[in-house]
Amino acid sequence: MFSTILSQYKTTLTVFLVLLVIVGLEVLQVRAAIYPSLLPAFEWLKNSTPLGYIGTTYGSIYATVQAMHLLAMGTLGGLVLTTDLRLLGVMFRSTPSEVISNGTHKAFKVALIVAVLTGIFCAAGVADKVYYMPVFWVKMLALAAGAAFVFLVKQPLLNSKPHSEINPWIIRGMAITSILVWFTVAASGRWIGFS
Amino acid sequence: MSDDKKIGDKELAAISVSVILFSGLMFHWVAELISTLDLLELAYGTVKLFNNPLVF
Repeated sequence: MFSTILSQYKTTLTVFLVLLVIVGLEVLQVRAAIYPSLLPAFEWLKNSTPLGYIGTTYGSIYATVQAMHLLAMGTLGGLVLTTDLRLLGVMFRSTPSEVISNGTHKAFKVALIVAVLTGIFCAAGVADKVYYMPVFWVKMLALAAGAAFVFLVKQPLLNSKPHSEINPWIIRGMAITSILVWFTVAASGRWIGFS
Repeated sequence: MSDDKKIGDKELAAISVSVILFSGLMFHWVAELISTLDLLELAYGTVKLFNNPLVF
């Protein structure tokens, strides 16, 4: 009985196990204990790496990479909105949602890689500043949650069967959550720029 | 409940993660809104969102 449930609901049980671990780490204040030990890594990134050197010395290069970062984030946002608004049935209704979600997912992976790589460069130049910004950590957390959500939960479900066979409320719930997660990533990113 | 109406593993995981993420993010943004309103109140003494704007 137990092994049947275990094998039938492997993904769900993994989700709750991960959640349990996260809650446990928070209760035991592991995050708070690790946080101070991350400062040397951020200082090293800014002061002792070519990324930090270029980011603090050459404004033109920093601006160019920053522009690429914004373009990648804009592309990500556009792809997320295209997919999720189609899943919600708001736009592109004449095109099957399977076609849109598969097509955008390929571009999404490229945009995410570019956004992360250029983001590391942008953060390196101001590493000792962003370390102290709560909104930077919110963005990182939202980015990690968003990427895990897309690659481990959303896309596997959307690829598993025709969308018409999936409960529409589950699809809508995923789409709304996805929009909120990536909105948080974008808004936190601009908040870092504002700070 | 018939087999084709059963919620499978991936569906259950998707709805669980969606609910957890959505709740967490809404909590975050509502907390940000409240702290922003607190800051505005500190700066201006009072915040009346849907009142006469001349009070500012």
